[in-house]
Amino acid sequence: MASTETKVLDEIIASRRAMILGGSALAGLLLTKQAKAAATVTSYTDADVLNFALNLEYLEANFYYLAAFGTTIDVANAASTAVGAPVITLSATVGTKGTVAHKANPQVPFTLEAVAAYAVETAIEEAKHVAFLTGALGSAAVAQPQIDLTGGASYPATAAWNTLATAAGVAGGVFDPFASDAFFLLGAYVFEDVGVTAYHGAAPLLTNIANVSPAAGILAVEAYHAGLIRTTLNAIDTDGSLAGITNSISMLRSTLSLAANGGKNLAGGTTPDDFGIMPQTVNLGGTSAQATQLVDADANVLAFARNTTQVLNIVTGGGATTAGTKATGVFFPAGLNGLFS
Amino acid sequence: MKQIEQFEELTELRKKRVNRRNFLVGAGTAGAATVLAGCSSNAASPVAPIVPATPAYSDNDLLNFALNLEYLEAEFYLYAATGSGLTSADTGGTGTGGATNTGGASLKVTGLTTAQQNILNEIAYDEQSHVRFLRSALGSAAVAKPALDLTFFAPLAVAAGVPGATATGATAFSPFTSFNTFLLGAFIFEDVGVTAYHGAAPLITAAGVKAGLLGAAAGILAVEAYHAAYARTTLTAISIAAGDPTLINTANLISTLRATLGGGNEKPLTFPNANIATTASAPASPVYASSIVAADSNALAFARNTDQVHHIVYGSATVGVSKGGFFPNGTNSIFSTTTT
Repeated sequence: MASTETKVLDEIIASRRAMILGGSALAGLLLTKQAKAAATVTSYTDADVLNFALNLEYLEANFYYLAAFGTTIDVANAASTAVGAPVITLSATVGTKGTVAHKANPQVPFTLEAVAAYAVETAIEEAKHVAFLTGALGSAAVAQPQIDLTGGASYPATAAWNTLATAAGVAGGVFDPFASDAFFLLGAYVFEDVGVTAYHGAAPLLTNIANVSPAAGILAVEAYHAGLIRTTLNAIDTDGSLAGITNSISMLRSTLSLAANGGKNLAGGTTPDDFGIMPQTVNLGGTSAQATQLVDADANVLAFARNTTQVLNIVTGGGATTAGTKATGVFFPAGLNGLFS
Repeated sequence: MKQIEQFEELTELRKKRVNRRNFLVGAGTAGAATVLAGCSSNAASPVAPIVPATPAYSDNDLLNFALNLEYLEAEFYLYAATGSGLTSADTGGTGTGGATNTGGASLKVTGLTTAQQNILNEIAYDEQSHVRFLRSALGSAAVAKPALDLTFFAPLAVAAGVPGATATGATAFSPFTSFNTFLLGAFIFEDVGVTAYHGAAPLITAAGVKAGLLGAAAGILAVEAYHAAYARTTLTAISIAAGDPTLINTANLISTLRATLGGGNEKPLTFPNANIATTASAPASPVYASSIVAADSNALAFARNTDQVHHIVYGSATVGVSKGGFFPNGTNSIFSTTTT
């Protein structure tokens, strides 16, 4: 009979093995494209890992800037200037530089003061992450890729948010996260838990110990954001409908994540690696109790981790299931910039 | 007697506490100097890992340090949610075990709505799970739950300068009396948990990283940040809804005390005056950001070393302090006596 300790160790080993396998798959992908680099099996650097993160930060920062201020991160307007939001100079040149597709006047017509304040805060923090990573990566930093943040009834079914809504079975196949407080929160929900899993999966891949602390620092901030979004959705959800939508989004993310890892989560099991804010039943010292689900975590209540292929498959809406092919789709119509693309 | 001494020491500290602006500036500078290492030729000097002064420690010592904090958090939330603490199956181990001082009264928070009770249940469950996870990972090396004092909130509130709070009696601060005071209690712990795991994560050995410990620590770090966000978001939302910043102001007094004890590393909550701008070109008035995330000027979460964390949970800035506050006999940890 396996003791709990043995089980935990097994899980740890399985998780590690999955990570190594993920790494090999990525290395295989790389080798297909660059045969002359065959000698270096795990030929990625910390910069590659951090550039992967930078692509996600470009996406998040632009989303929040559009929602909070109605402008992209590289253009100041009255709303962004009024709160001292930084203007990000898009000076990085590695890869293919793209633009951000979005609707006209994307600033969310907030009716809840608190949500407006959260949008402003989060926008500034994500922009700082872009600035921090680009500054740290220096000349190695990847350029902002082509980003699609369009969606809603006036856009085709192929628009990023509409594609996602259709896949998640949400709102009749159209979705505009800039339409209202609740829709903005749902849009943010799509990103934040993914950011947590991406940094969580990436942290143990870093080879330079000095990079672990900053990466863990960003991980924590993404988790603060995710906690903020989940808490607020839970607070304004009067009839459980928002919880239902978060469940659909989480199920879709989990499906895409597992599909990119041979049908398994990063710990090697086949259970989902994502949960919405639906209530759960927990056991407190032997007594069962109803509880919220404000934390997106596994059975040990450790946040989930995902490898780069899993994250890539989510943010491209299933574009990363073919090894060796650049993943494109949904938010990244031309793919990400950098090695892990 | 001991509690009175503690109270006096804390009150003294409050008087001497560093100027808020100074420490914020300090934190900002430190943050600005933080640069990722080895990424490019442009990179400046790498971040110095936060190393505790104790010279020799193992990964198990780091996990046991974390386990002490999880015991404290789990006891706090379990008592608040159910009126009982961890079961005996979850508390044994090496070192000196001890009871939890509840002050005699039932600590179950009463008068909660179902929605509020469900939130307490979740966090209690999460922290109970962390205790169990760490104990499983440590196996026979796990330390016992040390003596804990859940009445320390009262002198802590006095030391923080919470208006009207007394060290004892009917006006003593207790996080177990209402949902709002519970939130303040949660606020005391969660940001500390984030900084502690953040500080400890880079100390894990290469072998530990290979064995998955860094991944596990990062997983718990993230969950502590989810909890911290919950507490900070809800304190902010209640204040905005009421149009009254009292709750935020109280939390910020605690934040300032933590900064004094724990080497800065704090970002106060804000009371946003979010007069909403509905057009990008002409905002009606400035929209201020909330402050849900506790992070430095680069938007990286703060980190603390084991001494800084101990100073906070002991409620003492004295170098060499080895017990006190929430841990009347100290933590069961090789880091239990502070050296800085």
